[in-house]
Amino acid sequence: MKQILSRCLILLSLILFLTGCSRSIASDISTVTLSGWQSSPEEKQLLEQVLREFEESHPGIKVKFEVITDQYMDVIKTRLIGDAAPDVFYVDALDAPLLMSHGVLEPLDDYITEDLDLDDFAPHLSEAFQSDGKTYGLPKDFTTLALFYNKKYFDQLSISNPPQTWEELEDYAKKLTRDTTHNGRVDRYGLGMTPELSRHYFMIKAFGGELVDQKGEAVFATRQSLSGLTPLMDMYRQNHSAALASDVGASSGSEMFGQGKAAMVIEGSYAIPYLQQTFPKIEFATAEVPSIGNHKGSMVYTVAYVMNKQAKNKEAAWELISYLTGKEGMKAWANGGLAIPARKSVISELGYEQNPLYTPFIAGADYATIWQEDEKLPIFMTHFDNQFLSALLGEQSLKSAMKKAQQTANKEIKASNY
Amino acid sequence: MKRFWQKAKVREAISGYLFMAPTILVLGTFLIAPIIYAIFLSFHKVEILGGLSYRFVELKNFLRTFEDERVWIALKNTIEYVIIVVPCQTILALILALVLNKEIQGKKWFRIIFFLPTVTSSAVLTLIFIWIYNSNGLLNGLLDFFGLPTYNWLGDPSVALKSIMIMNIWSTAPFFMVIYLAALQDIPRSVYEAAKLDGANEFDQFINITVPLLKPVTFFVMVMGIIGTFQLFDQSYIFSGGTGGPNNSTLTVVLLIYQYAFRSLDMGYAAALALMLAGVILVTTLIQRGFFREEKAN
Repeated sequence: MKQILSRCLILLSLILFLTGCSRSIASDISTVTLSGWQSSPEEKQLLEQVLREFEESHPGIKVKFEVITDQYMDVIKTRLIGDAAPDVFYVDALDAPLLMSHGVLEPLDDYITEDLDLDDFAPHLSEAFQSDGKTYGLPKDFTTLALFYNKKYFDQLSISNPPQTWEELEDYAKKLTRDTTHNGRVDRYGLGMTPELSRHYFMIKAFGGELVDQKGEAVFATRQSLSGLTPLMDMYRQNHSAALASDVGASSGSEMFGQGKAAMVIEGSYAIPYLQQTFPKIEFATAEVPSIGNHKGSMVYTVAYVMNKQAKNKEAAWELISYLTGKEGMKAWANGGLAIPARKSVISELGYEQNPLYTPFIAGADYATIWQEDEKLPIFMTHFDNQFLSALLGEQSLKSAMKKAQQTANKEIKASNY
Repeated sequence: MKRFWQKAKVREAISGYLFMAPTILVLGTFLIAPIIYAIFLSFHKVEILGGLSYRFVELKNFLRTFEDERVWIALKNTIEYVIIVVPCQTILALILALVLNKEIQGKKWFRIIFFLPTVTSSAVLTLIFIWIYNSNGLLNGLLDFFGLPTYNWLGDPSVALKSIMIMNIWSTAPFFMVIYLAALQDIPRSVYEAAKLDGANEFDQFINITVPLLKPVTFFVMVMGIIGTFQLFDQSYIFSGGTGGPNNSTLTVVLLIYQYAFRSLDMGYAAALALMLAGVILVTTLIQRGFFREEKAN
C-alpha cells in the first residue's frame, strides 16, 4: 500500500512539473493556428515559406498551419460549432455572408491601423467581407475568369486573334471541333465548359437578368437570363462544339484543355501555373472573356483571411493576418502566380500588368461580377447546377429547366423558414 | 429496509446490474443517449452556428419532409438501389459459394482473391472505380473492343447510379459468399447421399435440399444487405464530390441527411430525416421477417 502511495506521489509531482513547464513556455511564445485549402503541393510549400518568414520577423509567435483538403467549408463550420476552429482561416466570398451574419467572426475594425492602407485593396474585393459597416476579413487574393486558347490549334486554322464577341467564339468553336483520328468520334472540342452557376452568373447578368430579387427569391428563369445562357446550350446541343470535362474523361476544364481535348476554356488564373507545370508542352495564351450581348463580363472570386471570434490570442492572430495581407507578406505569397494579389500596389510591383498571360485577368477585374450573394446562394447554386445540366443533356428545355430550378429553390427556402 | 436488502432476489439483481454497469454505461453514452438526443432534435428547430439554441416546432420538421422534393428523389434512388443490389448480390454470393464449395483446384486461392474487394476500404475502391468508369477508362475501352455502346458512367444522370450499383455488387457479394460458404459446409452430406439414392440429380438436390436448408442464412443475408444498402453514403459521396449529382441522380437518403446536417447546418430537419430512414428500414425488415416466417410455416 505504501509503495502504491509513493508511486502515485511521484506521478503527481511529475504531472505538475510537466504541466508547469509547458505553461512557462506558453507565456513567452503564443501559437496561432491557421487553416486553409491547397490547390497544389506548390501552394502549400509557398505558404509555409511565407509563414517561416513571418515567424522569423515575429519571434514571439508560432504559426501552426493545417491544410483541409476536402469539403473545406463543411469542416470549418463543424469546427466552429465545436469551438475547435483555427484562430485564422481562409473564407471564400461565397461563404462570407453566412459566417458574418452568425457572428462567429471577429470584427477587425479595432485592429486595422492607418499603415495597413486599406485603400490599396480593390474596393469590390474588401466589400465582400464587410457587413453592417464592419470589416470581418481582409482579401488575400482574387482571380477573374479569362479565355484560354490553344495557339497551335488557332494557327492551324490561321485564326490570328482570340474571339472578341461570343458570336465569334461560337464560330471559332465550330471550326476548331475536330475528329483528329478519323474514327467517327470527335476528340477535340472547340470549347470546354463547366456547367455551373458560379461560372455563368455573368452571362445571366449580360442581358439584364438577375439571380435574386429584393424579396430574396430566386428569379433566374426570366427571358433575359435565358438569352444569356442560350449560346452555351446551342454550342453543346446543336453544334456539338462544346463539351463537359466528364464527356472526354477529364476531371476539370483546365485538364481538358491541357490534354488538348478542348481548344478553348474559360478558367481562372490558377490554371496558368497548373498548365505550365502539368502540361509544359502546350502553347496557350489568354484573352478577356468575349463580350456577350455587347457587354464585357466575367466573374471574380476572392478569398480572405478572417479571425475566429473564439481565437485565444487575438493580438497574435491579428499580427498574422496583417502580415499576410500586408504589402510585404502578400508580395512573398503572390510571387508564385497562383492567384492575383488583392493589393493594387503589389500587382504593379510584381509586374502582373506587363505579363501578357495575366493582363486579361486584371482587366477583367474592372467589370467582373463578384461571386457572392446572400446566405441562400448555395441553395440557388445546387438547384441551378442540377437543372442546367439536365437541360444540357437534353432531358428538358432550358426554359422549363430554369423554371424548375427557380421553383424548387424558392420552395426549399420557404420550407426552411419556420 | 433491512429486510428489503436481505431479499435474495434484490441482491442478485443489484449485483447483476453492477456486472453489467460498464456495458450499460458505454452503450448508454454512445448508443442510447444519441438516439434520444436525435429524437429530441427532430422536434426542434436548431441553431448551432454561433451559439446553440433550440426552438420547439412540433411536427414541422417531419411535415417538411413530405414537401421536400429532394427527399423523394433520394428515397426513390435509394429504393431503386436496394431493389437491384440486394437480389443481385445475394444470388451472386450464392453462385460464388456454390462454385467454391466444389472440389476445384486452387479453391483456397480463389476464396482469398474473391474476398479481397470486401476487405478493401470502400473509399479506395470508389477512387479506383472512378478511373475505371472514366470516359476513356478501362470499362469503356472494354465495351468498345467488343463493339458495345459506351457510356459516360460518371457524368450521365441516367447511368451514374447504375455505376455505383455495379461497383457495390462486386464488392459486397464476396462478404455474403463467405457466409453462404460456411452454411453450405454445415449441410450434412448424408442428406445429399440419401437424395442421390432416391434418384435426384444435381439440380433437384440444389432446389430441394440446398435452397431450403439455406433459408435462415438467406434471411440474414437479405436483412443485412437491405440495411447496408439503405445506408449507402460513402460511394455516392465520393462519386459526386458530396453533391449527389449529376442532377441528383446519385443522391441517397444518408447523403441528403449529411447535406442538411453539415452543409445547411439544419440539425433538426436532418434528425427528422434520419428517423424517417430508420422507420423505413424497420418496416422493410419486419415485412421480410413476416415473409420468411410464413414460408417456414408452410
